[in-house]
Order: sequence, then C-alpha cells, then structure tokens
Amino acid sequence: MKVAIWLGSASPVRSVRWLDGALEAAAKFDDATAIAAGDATWLDLAADRATRLGLPSVGVPTDLQLDYLGWAQVAAAASRELGAKIILVDEASRPERFPEVAAIAELRDYAQVTHVVALAPDGALIHASRIAGRQLQTLRVRGEAVIGVRIAGAPVDEYPTPIPSKSMRRLDLAGIGLDPMVLAHRALPPRGAHQAKKSVERIAEHLSVHVVK
Amino acid sequence: MACVLVHIDLDGDRVSGSSLIALAAGRQLASSWGATLYAALIAQDTGSKSAPDSTAQLVTATKVPGLEGIETALARGGADKVVVAMTDAPVAPLWAAVGTAWQGVIDHLRPRLVLFGADAPSAAELAPRTGARIGARLLLRARTLGLDEVELRDRDGGYVRASDGGAAVALVGRASETPRGDDDVDVVVLAIPGGTDDRIELAGSAPAEVLHTAGAVVALGDEAAKDPKIVANAKILAQRLGAILVGGAEAARAGVLPPGGVVERTTPLAPELCVTIGSAQVDIGGATSLIKIGAQPSKHVDGALPGTVDLGLAALVERLEDV
Repeated sequence: MKVAIWLGSASPVRSVRWLDGALEAAAKFDDATAIAAGDATWLDLAADRATRLGLPSVGVPTDLQLDYLGWAQVAAAASRELGAKIILVDEASRPERFPEVAAIAELRDYAQVTHVVALAPDGALIHASRIAGRQLQTLRVRGEAVIGVRIAGAPVDEYPTPIPSKSMRRLDLAGIGLDPMVLAHRALPPRGAHQAKKSVERIAEHLSVHVVK
Repeated sequence: MACVLVHIDLDGDRVSGSSLIALAAGRQLASSWGATLYAALIAQDTGSKSAPDSTAQLVTATKVPGLEGIETALARGGADKVVVAMTDAPVAPLWAAVGTAWQGVIDHLRPRLVLFGADAPSAAELAPRTGARIGARLLLRARTLGLDEVELRDRDGGYVRASDGGAAVALVGRASETPRGDDDVDVVVLAIPGGTDDRIELAGSAPAEVLHTAGAVVALGDEAAKDPKIVANAKILAQRLGAILVGGAEAARAGVLPPGGVVERTTPLAPELCVTIGSAQVDIGGATSLIKIGAQPSKHVDGALPGTVDLGLAALVERLEDV
C-alpha cells in the first residue's frame, strides 16, 4: 500500500512532537513517503525528521501563502505524483491544517477520517481510532483514504538545527501539474503580526467563542 | 434570495447546543442580509431502500413523525425552513456516513453561507469537506458582530460580509443574540438515495480518555491547586468552557480533579483550547489556542494574564459570566 504523509506548509507552532508522531504512524506502513511544501528552512526540518525515522521525503519549494484549498491542491498533486492511495495528514502541529484533510480527500475523491489518535495497518485494512467529541470511535478503513492524525511522538525539548537535506526529492509546482499563477488565487490575505492578549476583557472575548450555553 | 444554511446535529432527541448557537448566528445574518435561513438535519429512514443511482425525492410536509419536537426547537431558534434529509444509512458524525445525504442538501439549496456549530459532533468532518466541495472560504470559531449590518468574524481576522462574493463555510462559536422565532415552520423532506462510503466502517465507540480530548482543557498548576478559591474558580471556568480540568500530582492529592484528569508533565495534549492556571506542568504543544493565567505573555500564546493567579482568574470568571 503506497502511503504519503502530508506534513504541511510550515513548521509546527510549538513542538515537533506531533510531527514526529505523524511520521511514526506513517513508518508503520511498508512504503511511506513524507511530503512537505513551503520555504527551505521548513523543508529541511521536515526532511530531517523524516530521515530520522527512515522515511524518504519529497519537498515542494514555494513561497506562496495559501488557504486550505490551495495547500490541498499541492498535497493532492504531490501525492498523485507518488501514486499514494493512503494519505496521512499531520493535523495537530498547526491548527490551520485540519481542514486540509477534507480538502485533499475531495480533490482525490478519497474517503476521509479526521482526528485520528491511533492507527494500525493490517494488510489491506487500517484500524483507526478517532475522537468525536468525548467519544472514541473505532473505524476500519479499506481502500483510498485521507486520514488526519493527531498522534504524539516522544517528548522533544530541543532538536538540532537541520542542515539542508540532500536526500529530499524536490518537485516544482509545474512538475506536478500546478500553475503558480492559478494557485495564487487561493492566496491568503496578509494578516497582522500575532500579539498575545493581555487584558481580562480581551481574553474573555477570545474565550467567548468557546463558552458553552 | 440568498440562502443561509445551518447544519443541525442532534444530541439524542434534542438539538445540539452548539448547533443552536450556529442557528442563532444564522438568524442574525439572514435577517441582516435579506436571506432565507434553512436549518437542515439528517435522519435515518429505516423503512425505505432507494437505488443508489436514483435522484432525491422532494416532499413538503408540516411535520415529520418523530421529529416534531426538533422542528419546533428549530422554528423557535429562528429557522425559516427546516430541511430533513432522509437517508437509508445509519447517521453518525462521519462524512463517510452522512456525506451523501448532506451533499443532497447542498445540491438542493446551493447556499451562499453554510454554518456549523463549532462544537457540534459532525462539524470537524462535514464543514471542511463542504467548503472544499463548493470552493468556499472557511472560518473557524467565528462569531457574529454588528447590529444592522451583521458580519461573521473569526479569531484569525477572517470575515464574511453581505457584500462579499463567493461562498463561505463557518464553524460558529458564538452568536451575539439569541432570537425567539415562531413555533410554526415549513418543513421540506428530501429522500436522498445512496448510503455510506464503504471504504470507512464504524466498528464501535467508547468514552474517550482525557489524553485524546480535542475540545477544551483547563490545566491547574500544583501550587494553584492548594488554594481553594483558585480551585473553585478553575472548576467554574472549566464548566463555562465545557472543558476538562486536568493537573498534576498535587492537584490529584487535593482531590480537585475529575476521573482521568491527572496528567504527567510529558502527557501530550492537543485540545482546541487550553487555559493554564499557574505553573501547570503539562505538554500543551498540540493545543490550537493557549491562554495562560498567572504568566507573562510569550511567543505562540494567544493571551496571558500576568500577576497573581487568584485575582486574574477571579476577574476572568466574573467577566465570562456576562458573555
């Protein structure tokens, strides 16, 4: 079973632990390849973490900043190039990535499963456990699917700065059938720099969208 | 007239609270934009089996047997019309289970804006796929703003306004008003053929462990757990946020944690929201949003209240009572 693991378009927000966990989940399969897109620093980190687990990697260098549909086009095209029938997505390392699971599935016409916390290949079958609210669902996956995983690796306090990867196979956008000019229509508008809220009022406002009625 | 569609999840025989928040937001937006507000839910019709390649059947009804109470709740919640998509497949919060039926609703209504309750069981599976299918922008944890010209805005600065072109899908966390509609509502029943996606089989479900929660977590530091006032407010905060209260060994010894709430320093948590109180020793590297009480603001933190923990927490809990 050919498997691709989509690591996304930017390095993890806080920890590489979830990136490592997603890669470990992919390494359970016989034929898995990591895919990342974005700037060179991120591609080097993605290649480094994949190599530590013995996984080959593919990088799509680009400086585009896209929405979930834009990145899904990149992931779908790269996974198609690899002939992957199962696509894992690290959905925990960055919050904006979880919608990409469904978007990739839509583009590939694959089944989808989000919020998977445990995964076990079993021949042509995959056993998966996913979170649905406060329930843990047990699923059997047969055939083509995109699976969003939130599986942690071992704790990592610090990791060495990755050096430019020689083993990562580079794919340019045109090479996987994507026109950067067309793809740029999915560009995100520039957002202001992130600033932590510091007052009770602003934090309460932030939390208000989580309040249970 | 434009269509605003709200997906309705059921919690047993009641409408999910999160879906009602989305419906309230939909009412505000539809009234402001001059749109019709549809509330759509998916129900299993165990009595019929359609051929997968047949087309959807449309029926206008006043009430659907077994769903009268839900229709009334949706009418009172502000819906102009209720759509019930009948499917012969068992309903579960998975695209593989209800995606065909939901697609039937989307095809029938062709909405400009589709809303889901951010905490509704199906939202994580259905909302992004809906967005991808109709090429829509996606807003996460959005809320309504404005009085006459109401708009949706998410915490990352994304917004949807009446004047925007294109479709949008939003997971709604808050509505600034709770409308009160009539008891009567038009009901449209769509009998949608085609069952589940055979590639995904739901084998069972069980209660999840704290370790796996994707919702909200309030993490109590060991020192903070020794203060009864802080503990009391932490519990109130957790209740308001629908969060699980977690902590370390000291909090466990103080007996303030629910079953399963004891976490080690390296226990990996990936909730959508984490609020830490005091120096909580938890690995929240996977959290989508992070708020710290009794800590200095730092990189990748969405908010922080420096100063004493008890005062900051008490002020925040009091403020949230007004939300």
